[in-house]
Amino acid sequence: MINKRNMATYGIALVFILALNFLLPRMMPGDPLMAIYGEDALIQMTPELKAHLVERFALDEPIWSQLGAYFWGLLRGDLGHSYYYNAPVSEVILGRLPWTCLLVGSSLVLSTVLGVVLGIESGWRRGRKLDKSLLTGLMALGGFPDFFLGIVLLLVFGVTLGLLPLAGALTPYAELSGLALSLDILKHLLLPLASLTLCHIGGSYLLTRNTMITVMQEPYILTARAKGLSDSQIRYHHAGRNSMLPVFTRTGMWLGRLVTGALFVEMVFAYPGLGYLTYEALLARDYPVLQGVLLMVAVFVLVANLLVDLTYPKLDPRASYAH
Amino acid sequence: MHISPKRELKRSSLGRVGIVLIVLVLILAIFAPLLVRYEPSGQTASAFESPSLEHWLGTNHVGQDIWSQLAYGARTSLLVGFSVAVFSVLLSALIGASAALVGDRYDRIVMRIVDALIVIPVVIVLVLLAAYIKPGIGYIIVILSLLGWQFGARVVRAQTLVLKEEMHVAAAKSFGASNFYLIFRHIIPDLGPILLVQFVYAARRAIFMEAGLAFLGIADPSIISWGMMMHDALGFCYLDVWRWCLIPPGVALSLTVLSITFIGHAFEPVLDPRLRGEAGA
Repeated sequence: MINKRNMATYGIALVFILALNFLLPRMMPGDPLMAIYGEDALIQMTPELKAHLVERFALDEPIWSQLGAYFWGLLRGDLGHSYYYNAPVSEVILGRLPWTCLLVGSSLVLSTVLGVVLGIESGWRRGRKLDKSLLTGLMALGGFPDFFLGIVLLLVFGVTLGLLPLAGALTPYAELSGLALSLDILKHLLLPLASLTLCHIGGSYLLTRNTMITVMQEPYILTARAKGLSDSQIRYHHAGRNSMLPVFTRTGMWLGRLVTGALFVEMVFAYPGLGYLTYEALLARDYPVLQGVLLMVAVFVLVANLLVDLTYPKLDPRASYAH
Repeated sequence: MHISPKRELKRSSLGRVGIVLIVLVLILAIFAPLLVRYEPSGQTASAFESPSLEHWLGTNHVGQDIWSQLAYGARTSLLVGFSVAVFSVLLSALIGASAALVGDRYDRIVMRIVDALIVIPVVIVLVLLAAYIKPGIGYIIVILSLLGWQFGARVVRAQTLVLKEEMHVAAAKSFGASNFYLIFRHIIPDLGPILLVQFVYAARRAIFMEAGLAFLGIADPSIISWGMMMHDALGFCYLDVWRWCLIPPGVALSLTVLSITFIGHAFEPVLDPRLRGEAGA
């Protein structure tokens, strides 16, 4: 049950990212090796490493062989060589990936669940006090840039109150294990998670609320009422379930936004995920790492979208009759 | 189009708050030279002074007056927001409307590209591009516009498909009007309110991204921007004084983005009239 149209979309997106990654350094003026690695790194490289890299990516050959070498490398999981970390880019990225997955994953779950529940309650009580205050409050939160919200939380809870750690994902050299380790991870996760989630609840909340308002005017709600169903049954079973659908289809898109948000939030908290890696790579002008992160994130978001497409008919059986 | 954005804005109290805020920021930006006492990039005092009568918001790490920088930073934010919004709405209108008018294969290809651009995490692409090009403000505006039209194009296309069937457009077509003529004489004027909403969204995204990029340290150092002020301040987080440098640009940026969010929300009934009647909200 894969939608052909969506597959084309993902294909184009992937080609766009790959083309950008391949062409950008090669379009820059000067030696391709210099464009890929930057001037500073090139001066410090040994001739052997230079020769090895030129050969590995076929940089002295025509563009088509370079393209071939690039794709062959990708297929083998070779994202290039990071000079700054002196390690394969894939290794550097994989080392950071779990932290971002933890942060973004928990934030996605939390913001979606909270957003949907609040959106249902809010849409149900449209125009009443709770609805108005939720609407204003969550929209105001969404208006904050996530990095500034992170900084404010850091100042209040980390610096002023001293309740939570200021940076990192683990207490260094603490050698914790078991429950203490989980608690330590949780403590470090709390502030970045809060900033990311608070900024992004608004999206799923507003969407659920708006759909809820529309759904509430549907005849089947009237029918449900006429049948004498209880309020909570109508709210969650009839109206709520249908209001969730648009939120679900946008999960992939939100994942992209959350990863972007994580980029800034991780930087504020020095949380060692992909976002912080991007920042470090920017400072060190470590272009291969930047490219690797872009490719990795893009593939993740595309796969998430694909999974959403695949599971959607299960949530909304109407979708499988359509087309 | 029976719904006037102006009326929607008047009806919504959040919208009114947004307008007041954005007008304040506009005044700050336009009259910046009259409102400040110091050159924003001039070294006017010792570093990290606390707020005083001389320096209302204190000074930063090289002794520049933060209030002056804040006022001039408003110019950067609004300039980027406004220009990107103009360009990307224009692109949205051209591409979305032409896709709907031409139809067929062109429509299908364009819409796949639009969808693909919506799926891609744009900020990370921006970071990569910016890292290579080390862009000035003009480049930033161009790149943000080129990566910001896709959301509006979808809405414009959907609305144009409806408009296409309307009598006056069909009549113009039967007199031999070209698609180009149709877009500029009929579609764009008719879609005015919808384009306005897209303009608001695009401006919000652009201001946000410009600040974000500068916050990451990707910006022209000669241009004062709120994001860069925060970036500089964060570098001194081991000192206690950094709050004086950090909070003002953060609050200014948040208020600007917030005001646009509120205005955008007030406009939402333009896109979906069923949301109307949010008395007070």
